[in-house]
Amino acid sequence: MRGRRALGPSRRLLQRRQRILYLLIELIHLRKEYDDLVAVQDLNLSIPQGEIFGLIGPNGAGKTTTIRMACGLLAPTTGRALVNGIDVSEEPERAQQLLGYLSDFFALYDDLKVWEYLDYFAHAYKMNESEIPARVSEAIAQVSLEVKRDAMIRGLSRGMKQRLGIARSIIHRPKLLLLDEPASGLDPKARLELRNLLRSLRDQGSTILISSHILTELEGFCTSIGIMEKGRMVRSGRIEEVTAAENLARDMRISWLGDASGALEEKLRGHADVSNLQLSTGDATFQFAGSDEEMAALLASLVSAGVRVKTFAEVKQTVEDLYMRLSRHEVM
Amino acid sequence: MWKFWRNPEFVRHKRAELRPARALMVAVVVVFIAALIGLACWSERQEMLETAQRNAQRLGGQWVPYAEKVRRENPRETWLLLCRWLVGLQAGLVPFWSMFMCAQAVSGERDRRTWDFQRTTSLTAAEITLGKVLGEPILGYFAALCVLPITIWAGVAGGISFWSLLAGYVGLFAGALFLGLSGLWLSTMLESRSRGVGLIGALFVFCLMMGTYAFAASWFPGLAGFSPVAGLHSILGIKLVEAREVTPMLFGHEVPWVLVSLLLYASFGAWITIMILRNLKRDYSELRPLSRWQVVGCVAFLNFMFYALFSRNGEVVKSDELASFMVAVNGAILFLVGLGSLTPLERLKVWWRERAEGTANMFSENGLPWPWLLLSGVVAYAFMVWDILAWRMALDFHSRSLRTAALELLVVLIFITRDILFIQWCTLTRLRQPVLKGVLFLCLYYATAGVVIAISSISGEAAAVSAMNLLTPFGIFDPRSEWGHSAISTYGGMALQVGLIAMILVAISNRLGRPSLVPAVSEG
Ligand SMILES: Nc1ncnc2c1ncn2[C@@H]1O[C@H](COP(=O)(O)OP(=O)(O)OP(=O)(O)O)[C@@H](O)[C@H]1O
Ligand SMILES: [Mg+2]
Repeated sequence: MRGRRALGPSRRLLQRRQRILYLLIELIHLRKEYDDLVAVQDLNLSIPQGEIFGLIGPNGAGKTTTIRMACGLLAPTTGRALVNGIDVSEEPERAQQLLGYLSDFFALYDDLKVWEYLDYFAHAYKMNESEIPARVSEAIAQVSLEVKRDAMIRGLSRGMKQRLGIARSIIHRPKLLLLDEPASGLDPKARLELRNLLRSLRDQGSTILISSHILTELEGFCTSIGIMEKGRMVRSGRIEEVTAAENLARDMRISWLGDASGALEEKLRGHADVSNLQLSTGDATFQFAGSDEEMAALLASLVSAGVRVKTFAEVKQTVEDLYMRLSRHEVM
Repeated sequence: MWKFWRNPEFVRHKRAELRPARALMVAVVVVFIAALIGLACWSERQEMLETAQRNAQRLGGQWVPYAEKVRRENPRETWLLLCRWLVGLQAGLVPFWSMFMCAQAVSGERDRRTWDFQRTTSLTAAEITLGKVLGEPILGYFAALCVLPITIWAGVAGGISFWSLLAGYVGLFAGALFLGLSGLWLSTMLESRSRGVGLIGALFVFCLMMGTYAFAASWFPGLAGFSPVAGLHSILGIKLVEAREVTPMLFGHEVPWVLVSLLLYASFGAWITIMILRNLKRDYSELRPLSRWQVVGCVAFLNFMFYALFSRNGEVVKSDELASFMVAVNGAILFLVGLGSLTPLERLKVWWRERAEGTANMFSENGLPWPWLLLSGVVAYAFMVWDILAWRMALDFHSRSLRTAALELLVVLIFITRDILFIQWCTLTRLRQPVLKGVLFLCLYYATAGVVIAISSISGEAAAVSAMNLLTPFGIFDPRSEWGHSAISTYGGMALQVGLIAMILVAISNRLGRPSLVPAVSEG
């Protein structure tokens, strides 16, 4: 703060403008209290344009609360939420025009037809009158509901309603999508379609914040993640960065031929960088905190000690592993 | 914004409620019912005519010209009867339907979990309000539209001028809109769980509105203009007060009912609109009906309305009676605006922290309501003095009444401050529906006080008066209480209540000083 204050006014303006253009959503010292409970505290988060941000955390971590504050449904106790540089609590309508929101539990207007529902929201988001009919058809196609276009919503299945909810949240081509558990109730095929849809939206320039429990859902698809726990953001950033930061202790798996457990155990237990060794017949897992160089040296020393190493590999970390380790405070 | 037929929320209701098949059915049913009523009217008049003619044949004499008159006037009277029935039914049903539907508008959407989606669209609160107030009861408006031509036709054929019919309809429609707004406001204040309470509340407000025509005989006859019946009473052929015509007074001048109704609907509707617009897009936990200055403004407005609508109604009015009456009414007003200015716990805690840091003071928006309540009391008194002085010529005026009124208002204000702070304290506990429960506790308190007073009256009137002064604000309205033996208990009661207020304030600050918890997280 102090550093920025020292900058000249024009420079500061320029920096600010750059930041506004770049960061689509910015949560600043966000805090939310319910009665005596602090559901979210001192949460800072900024997501640049074009990211797919996965928000993960155990039940009650404050994900839904955070998302609801970001889209102006809840007023933060203190702190600010900016969407594309617009303060959500000061100019809610302007900010909401830029964002699409899908809540974890929702319902649709049962007494409307599918197209009428989307038409309603297209008007409610103040889209251009002339482009609405085409956009409604397009959105219906994007969630593969063409056959139900003229059906009453009350007759749709749970998954179809979920799809319609997704269509609703993208109808106005929002720059920012906030999705709270969007895949619940979808069949595997629809999940795949949802991923593809979100990817294509990202390619068209949308930024997406998605909260989910099902971590495999986010695998290979999110570009950054944030892990929440007890109302705090424990880690956040691009996946590579977060993984790299945690890679200090890598999961290793080793397997060998013959009976060499004695020598192996002695070597590994004696090594300063090895922890959590778990031995079974013919293979073992452990965590290794050293560098690549040291890893190679360890392998060489094992081989030279007469262990007939069959495989010696680093277990690739999935989002799930990362999450499990972080949420068990292993790295805190 | 004003093109309501293009308002998305209105269009949504129109689409959902008025699908062609349904609209056709409603139209047919409504016209059919109108026809049935028409038949009933016709047969009633026919029977009257036949009786008159039979009597003329049998008895002769003055029955003959009477029968002739009835025969001549029969078509006109039949149409008039039909028109009255139709107008009466509409005056009852359309406003009720409007309120009934709007009273479930927001709470119903909260219940069905569609509300969050609507709140995240770029529709402004004003647009949603307009769409809902016109859209929710659209079926009722449509039905009324279907009978409109029949009613006008019947009215004109029945000898009522087109313009008075039109004025009646304008008043009726404005009343329906006003009730719709009130219903919408009620529903924003209700959490989904209490839908039943909402309906009962709506019914209560509706009956209250219909019943306001009882004000026709009071010092403020204009207030009867709230009732849709007031504007229509000449069309309906009824009298508001037995045996005499009442005309409402505005600043001491007679004005037509429709005008008073429109004025009331517009001005009170504006306040309701302010409350709705402030809160509609907020989360339930963050509702705050009025801002601090709006509370003061609201008290001033209501007192101004009393000034505007006062009428002697041909009686001699004593200034101290009028002053006592206005103190009592202001008590109710202050209690209601006090309820409207309660601060949610979350904001109160922020205020508490800011105050510790020195960035907020007692008068802050998020602070406790009592400083503003006191200010409202002062404003109410100022307006009251002004009202009474302005009407001095029309009253049996004594300057003593202003002093008495000041003391009365002070006592009332202290009790109300205590009650509001008590309810504020309730909102800090973990009670569900704390405001409702707080009000119930207060009712319990006053019932207990009543019992205590009744018991102490066994040992003499003086004891009863003392108990009343100590425990309730009602003793002060007893004209003997200012001086003499009950003065001690009056001041004693005030001191007692101030002590209680201090205790509640201590309890509130203890509660606010408590540290917050971090959530217990289940391992996911
Ligand atoms: N309206 C409310 N009133 C009181 N406490 C609440 C309310 N909503 C949420 N909480 C509390 O706030 C905390 C965070 O809740 P939140 O719904 O944000 O969690 P979440 O991360 O979305 O959980 P989940 O994974 O189960 O959806 C929880 O401890 C919850 O009990
Ligand atoms: Mg959640």
